[in-house]
Amino acid sequence: MFTRQPIAPLEYTRRWSLRAWVALTMFFLYAPLVALMVFSFNDSRRNIVWQGFTTKYYLKVLHNDTLMTALLNSLTIALFATIISLVLGAMAAVMLWRFRFPWKSAIEGTMALPIVVPEICFGVAMLIFFAQIGWPMDLPWPFSLGAITIAHVTFCFPFVTMVVRSRLASFNREQEEAAKDLGASEWQAFRDVLLPHMKPGLVAGALLAFTLSLDDFVITFFTSGPNTITFPVKVYSMVRFSVTPEVNAVSTLLILMTVILTTIALYLQNRMTENSGKGHS
Amino acid sequence: MDKMSLLRESIMGRRSLLQGLGAAAIGISITGGLAACSKGEEKKSASGEEPKLNFYNWDTYIGETTLDDFKQAAGIEVNMSLFATNDELFAKLRAGNPGFDVIVPSNDFVERMVKADMLMPLDHAKIPNFKNAAPAFTDVPYDPKRAYSMPYTWLVLGIGYRKSKMKGPIDSWKVLFDSDEYKGRIALLSEAGDLFRLSAKYKGHSVNGLNKDIIAEIEAMLKKQKANVKAFHEDNGQDLLLSGEVDVVLEYNGDIAQIMKEDPDIDFVVPKEGSQFNSDNLAIPKGAPHPENAHAFINYLLDAEAGKKISETILYPTPNAAAKALMPDDYKNNPVIFPPAAILAKCEYASYNAELQPLYEEAFTRIRAD
Amino acid sequence: MQDWGTQKRVFAAIATAPILWLFTFFVIPLAVLWAYSFGRNVGLTEIDISGTFANYARAIEPLYIAIFGKSVAVAALTTFICLIVGFPVAIAITFAAPKWKPWLLLGIMLPFWTNLLIRTYALMTVLRGEGYANQSLGWLWNLSSNARVVLGLQPLGAWEPLHLLYNNFAVVLGLVYVHLPFMVLPLYAALDRLDRSLIEASLDLGAGHLRTLLTIVAPLAAPGIISGVVITFIPALGAYLTPDLLGGTDSQMIANVIERQFKRANDWPFGSALSFILMYATFIMIAWQASRERKLKREEA
Repeated sequence: MFTRQPIAPLEYTRRWSLRAWVALTMFFLYAPLVALMVFSFNDSRRNIVWQGFTTKYYLKVLHNDTLMTALLNSLTIALFATIISLVLGAMAAVMLWRFRFPWKSAIEGTMALPIVVPEICFGVAMLIFFAQIGWPMDLPWPFSLGAITIAHVTFCFPFVTMVVRSRLASFNREQEEAAKDLGASEWQAFRDVLLPHMKPGLVAGALLAFTLSLDDFVITFFTSGPNTITFPVKVYSMVRFSVTPEVNAVSTLLILMTVILTTIALYLQNRMTENSGKGHS
Repeated sequence: MDKMSLLRESIMGRRSLLQGLGAAAIGISITGGLAACSKGEEKKSASGEEPKLNFYNWDTYIGETTLDDFKQAAGIEVNMSLFATNDELFAKLRAGNPGFDVIVPSNDFVERMVKADMLMPLDHAKIPNFKNAAPAFTDVPYDPKRAYSMPYTWLVLGIGYRKSKMKGPIDSWKVLFDSDEYKGRIALLSEAGDLFRLSAKYKGHSVNGLNKDIIAEIEAMLKKQKANVKAFHEDNGQDLLLSGEVDVVLEYNGDIAQIMKEDPDIDFVVPKEGSQFNSDNLAIPKGAPHPENAHAFINYLLDAEAGKKISETILYPTPNAAAKALMPDDYKNNPVIFPPAAILAKCEYASYNAELQPLYEEAFTRIRAD
Repeated sequence: MQDWGTQKRVFAAIATAPILWLFTFFVIPLAVLWAYSFGRNVGLTEIDISGTFANYARAIEPLYIAIFGKSVAVAALTTFICLIVGFPVAIAITFAAPKWKPWLLLGIMLPFWTNLLIRTYALMTVLRGEGYANQSLGWLWNLSSNARVVLGLQPLGAWEPLHLLYNNFAVVLGLVYVHLPFMVLPLYAALDRLDRSLIEASLDLGAGHLRTLLTIVAPLAAPGIISGVVITFIPALGAYLTPDLLGGTDSQMIANVIERQFKRANDWPFGSALSFILMYATFIMIAWQASRERKLKREEA
């Protein structure tokens, strides 16, 4: 698509000012996390005064069934909620971008409401909703997470729609027309022309949905049954007696795990690209 | 490089992470919710109910081994879920009980839930360990004759402070509500009801004797005091005090007692005007699927030895006289955990008042917006 | 833009699922609360839907309007700062070498996979009177004070820790901290793999980088900026945890008030009314914007 030159004018990332800016932003984002990691080694029940070095909270974490189950539940919910949100959100985005239809403004407005509705309001609404339709609360895992996942999808997918749609705005319709002129079916045109263009939007949308789902407390609380503790519910319940370094330890482990897994994934990706000669851009 | 497949890679990575975690979770907790789902090989417990129980509790509000001990003793599997505030507990059960057997509401919420017909009356014949409760807790104003609830822990609100920063003896609510002596070094609990009731106490009223005029008077006082207050805290006042952000804080005795272990410069007092009690209670919500097991569990928690183990973990005052007798002296004779009887005589339980509560809230909203 | 009638099957294939989902799991559950907003409490758990407008009348009292106004101001400032901070970051990700792109994206996202409450607590340890921020600043202060002594100047006064917590500054800082990816991601999504020839042309024609940024890149990024602003501003408006934990005595926002209605005050009808006022405002704004855009396009065509 573009030619890469040794000193391309577009290599903004090579400019020190931009680099400094990104570095500062990263510092802003990571300084508290470093504090968090440091305090996970603090020999105190609180994250306040340094009392000495210990790794006991890491051992405690590994033996804390509730915490592990909660983490597993949260990751499972986030994974499913992200996938469903991505599909629904992308469909809604294409629908709003491509078609004129009756009541469009109203539907577009409604689509934005899950973003604005106060969490507690939506949480209570979902609580009543699931109670009224008699949603079974004692399903075996992972179906016991169904109600929570449904609620998460509902507030996540409009975010995906919003992001994907802004991406679609830069799409050149003629490309799609050209593909169809060359005999591509509706589906082929979508898969080979539109979808690749949507990719950055989908990646961004998926990251947003995953983050939102992983972090939600209020709505989760109101849609969870007696068998389903998620990580945020566990953490928020700790507030009354102070949040312990155990949680810092879990968070540290999660961060490390994400970094390691991504490194491996990227490494494999590079290997595969090298093996197959040239990867398509 | 192709970002979508990257993402796919990382999702795949996450999935195998999940599987690993899943295996770990199953490995660690054969007793966990996963295993509990296999209904096939379950035996009926003595009560004739399936040997399961859903316990809805505050976090870390139980002895470290209590649930396992109970399983050993009674063969009933306890599955504990967590809530963070009474309001959430109430809101959640309001739409119908989703399957909880035992809950732990505070005193005013016991009253509220009884009024709203959300609790099941207790069968005292099935709770013989009720005899272990201290006399002060066998008949309480919020639940006469303990028809619906059993005592679990109790607390009293007071002033936590940093001794080295105090300019004089701390013995009155004045330092918190009506004085600029510790300007910018004060943190108050952001519970409208508690703030107004304790201010009323400071002004010489009962915590249950408020009316519109008193509320207006207190609102004016707190609006003035706001300039001296650093923050309204979310029941994390002990953290603010320990970290040196503030020097005087409105908190519960149990919370301050916990940080006094880490910092000897901290102390706690129940002011001379008297204060407000709080008590957490065990209750069975209507619609509980395993009421028999619930009774057995409540009875077990009131046991002397079990109660001792619970108190060892949570370090709050226990209403269980038999359990208290088993505790070491630095707990039993700790004047912060068990303040002197003379001062406790001036403390009251706040009863739930449906008319006044919205007024407190609105006045508090005005105070904060002012 | 096509009329749905021309390709009914395609339209049905992509429109059915999202609309059905939205209707079943959002509109229907919320309809109950919408009805509550016209009701009043009778007893502790009973709500009588009497069709009263009393809740709305109460919600537009000056007290609540003022809180609403303040929340809008805080959220707007947060959004603005996020845009200023996030735009260069999004540019950096967009123009980064493919090898670095996933790392930069991950770098931005990783902090947000740590629980919000934990992150907020961590921020508090940094901002505290005796926290790292103040310690570092105090260290710098003493260093420069010593340097002045060396240079034969008067030393600086004793270091006074800054009040970085429990005020509105802390709330805005916390909100920026929490909402930054909501801005960076849409910007990145809009900018990535843009038609770079435009930018190159602009640079070739002698326009400076800043001018190119403002006149070429910013308009290209406009849809991303709009969606970034929307999904940063609206959640920031609904934030309750950050003002609760980082705010001072006067830092309450509208979401705190709404939360208290559903919890402590046990006044669901009033809480619903406040929530729906927020939703009416958004709905009208978005729908108006959407129909205006369409009208503009139609006129162009």
